[in-house]
Amino acid sequence: MDSEDDRSIHDDNDIESLDDDFYMDNYSDYDEDAADVAEGDSNPVESRRTEQSFTVLKESDIRQRQEDDISRLADFLSISHVAASLLLRHYNWSVNKVNDAWFADEGEVRRTVGLLEKPVYENPADADEITCGICFDAYPLSEIETASCGHPFCFSCWGGYIGTSISDGPGCLMLRCPEPGCKAAVDQNMINLVASGEDKEKYDRYLLRSYIEDNKKTKWCPAPGCEHAVNFDAGIRKNYDVSCLCSYSFCWNCTEEAHRPVDCDTVSKWILKNSAESENTNWILAYTKPCPKCKKPIEKNQGCSHMTCKSPCHYQFCWLCLGPWKEHNGACNRYEADKQNETEKIKERAKKSIERYTHYYERWASNQSSREKALADLQKMQSVDIDMIRASQDLPESQVKFITEAWLQIVECRRVLKWTYAYGYYLPENEHTKKQLFEYLQGEAESGLERLHQCAEQEIQVFLRDINVAPSADDVRPSKEFIDFRSKLAGLTIVTRDYFENLVRALENGLCDVEALENGLSDVEELALENGLSNVEALENGLSDVDDNGIITDDHWFCEQCTFANVVSATACRMCNQQRPWSQES
Amino acid sequence: MQASRARLFKEYKEVQREKTADPDIQLVCDDSNIFKWTALIKGPSETPYEGGVFQLAFSVPEHYPLQPPQVRFLTKIFHPNVHFKTGEICLDILKTAWSPAWTLQSVCRAIIALMAHPEPDSPLNCDSGNLLRSGDVRGYQSMARMYTRLAAMPKKG
Repeated sequence: MDSEDDRSIHDDNDIESLDDDFYMDNYSDYDEDAADVAEGDSNPVESRRTEQSFTVLKESDIRQRQEDDISRLADFLSISHVAASLLLRHYNWSVNKVNDAWFADEGEVRRTVGLLEKPVYENPADADEITCGICFDAYPLSEIETASCGHPFCFSCWGGYIGTSISDGPGCLMLRCPEPGCKAAVDQNMINLVASGEDKEKYDRYLLRSYIEDNKKTKWCPAPGCEHAVNFDAGIRKNYDVSCLCSYSFCWNCTEEAHRPVDCDTVSKWILKNSAESENTNWILAYTKPCPKCKKPIEKNQGCSHMTCKSPCHYQFCWLCLGPWKEHNGACNRYEADKQNETEKIKERAKKSIERYTHYYERWASNQSSREKALADLQKMQSVDIDMIRASQDLPESQVKFITEAWLQIVECRRVLKWTYAYGYYLPENEHTKKQLFEYLQGEAESGLERLHQCAEQEIQVFLRDINVAPSADDVRPSKEFIDFRSKLAGLTIVTRDYFENLVRALENGLCDVEALENGLSDVEELALENGLSNVEALENGLSDVDDNGIITDDHWFCEQCTFANVVSATACRMCNQQRPWSQES
Repeated sequence: MQASRARLFKEYKEVQREKTADPDIQLVCDDSNIFKWTALIKGPSETPYEGGVFQLAFSVPEHYPLQPPQVRFLTKIFHPNVHFKTGEICLDILKTAWSPAWTLQSVCRAIIALMAHPEPDSPLNCDSGNLLRSGDVRGYQSMARMYTRLAAMPKKG
């Protein structure tokens, strides 16, 4: 029963992933020609975001939203624009929180934020001149300015006060009247009145940053140099991976790079581990012995076996048997089977643990660098190679998009694969079946990805090499070889994508399917096949999808086993001899 | 520079005029440098500092009053918020909560208030802070009184 349900869920997800792909098209358009999309295709992009529960905000979007929130609140509470801005700033830009607090106790809110309704200080009515509270000089009324509290300061002192505060940092957004003990807020009107142009700009910048940084639902994209922010609505799905318009994907929860299928805790553990700090501990375990009395680790680098522990311990012992020196008769050469030392075991274990860690770390790091290389290749592809191919094969842009897609897929897969090594490292050693299944799935994923990478990297070379040969008029363009290549690469991309999606899902579920199975590897294999390799339906859907775009004509079929694109007339795969799954007639 | 000088000059005049106004504070400007001041403050009554006279050194920055003056005790004092060796003072209005409307005179008043109400949770003198935090008020008071007697009172005989 359960597994039936599972299947149907998977099918749903497959359909959904195809939808994703549809939006993915728009998405890559977006990268190439942002302006175009901003007008024409903004709706699909938006809907994809909604579905994915996040929105990427450009600076103009941020300003727009901030402005909207402020105006809405100002209208609603019938207060000034600057007052609404101050209120929102104090309540971390949550309109709801401001409303709740305001209607619970308006007076209290006004006091804490510093929005006074009437001045608390009255200047003597008959005075011609007023003394500034900072420089103590007397000024005519026209040269005196006050905040809502009425405490008088001259323009130049206000300027100095505000300028100092702005150069001190974003604290200037909460600036109060200089009078000691006065809570009245210094609002944006005052800033605009007295601050220099540069300071006004800074203040403006802080206000914008505050809208993102103090807001629980938004974060800046952590990619260096990227100025976009991401708004995230915690929905039902516990998927924190978001990708910015700058093409950097990161985990919204912990702002590390995107790390599905591994959870944030594991990632932080792994990163901490990689920072070598904890490896020191293991080194200490492996290469030192603890003093038998005070347990401080000791590394012996010279001298005899008579050890004296450092002050204040002063314990004297034999380095070899760790027995007290007093009872030591100068030698501990006799072998005593029972006395197999506990510390030796610990050392052994620590050494093994280093080796184990190195194994996972090397693979993690190598996928990381492969990914970076793939990103660089993708950029080269997009900027140079694709144009060359388009020219030589005489194709419109939409028809060579599959190359970009393949590379995007490679980059994504490298990322997933990388994190599976952190996953593997933290998989409990005693869960044998899980480990086996995991390693099997990971192995399959790895070889699948290698296949795709190989195809995208090597097989494309032919078409880049031929570029210099001037095409003669009677050449068929695009050439047959290119069509073959296209269907193979597009097919591999889809198969790999589906495999990785299933892999991520399976790992995120903690490989819980294992618990249902107890019959060892044969079932594991079956499960793996179900999860990953039975994507024929998806593949076929994918193909028909491609068909509509006119990329693949009907004269190919994809091998179920190795995904090779065979000509329709072949009854068995040219690569691996797998039989074609249907007969010619049907 | 000009603004700070003008402002300090005003404070100077005010101090001269009000010399008798606050008997606990005696502010003196350096003869040759208006950016250097000293103050003598009386230890507040009903505190272990009672009867002592404490000397403060002010160093006024160029951007005063937009920036706070630097103040330290020249007289040795045993107080949780004063560094025992350097005399440095931990007081919010001398750091983040500074307002340009404060004056040297009001800073002195704030320091007297701090002497009467120590903040053991942000100590510069940990020994003193720990005594208070562990509830040993008597221990703190006798230490503080001893140092007041040793350093802040004229020697008898």
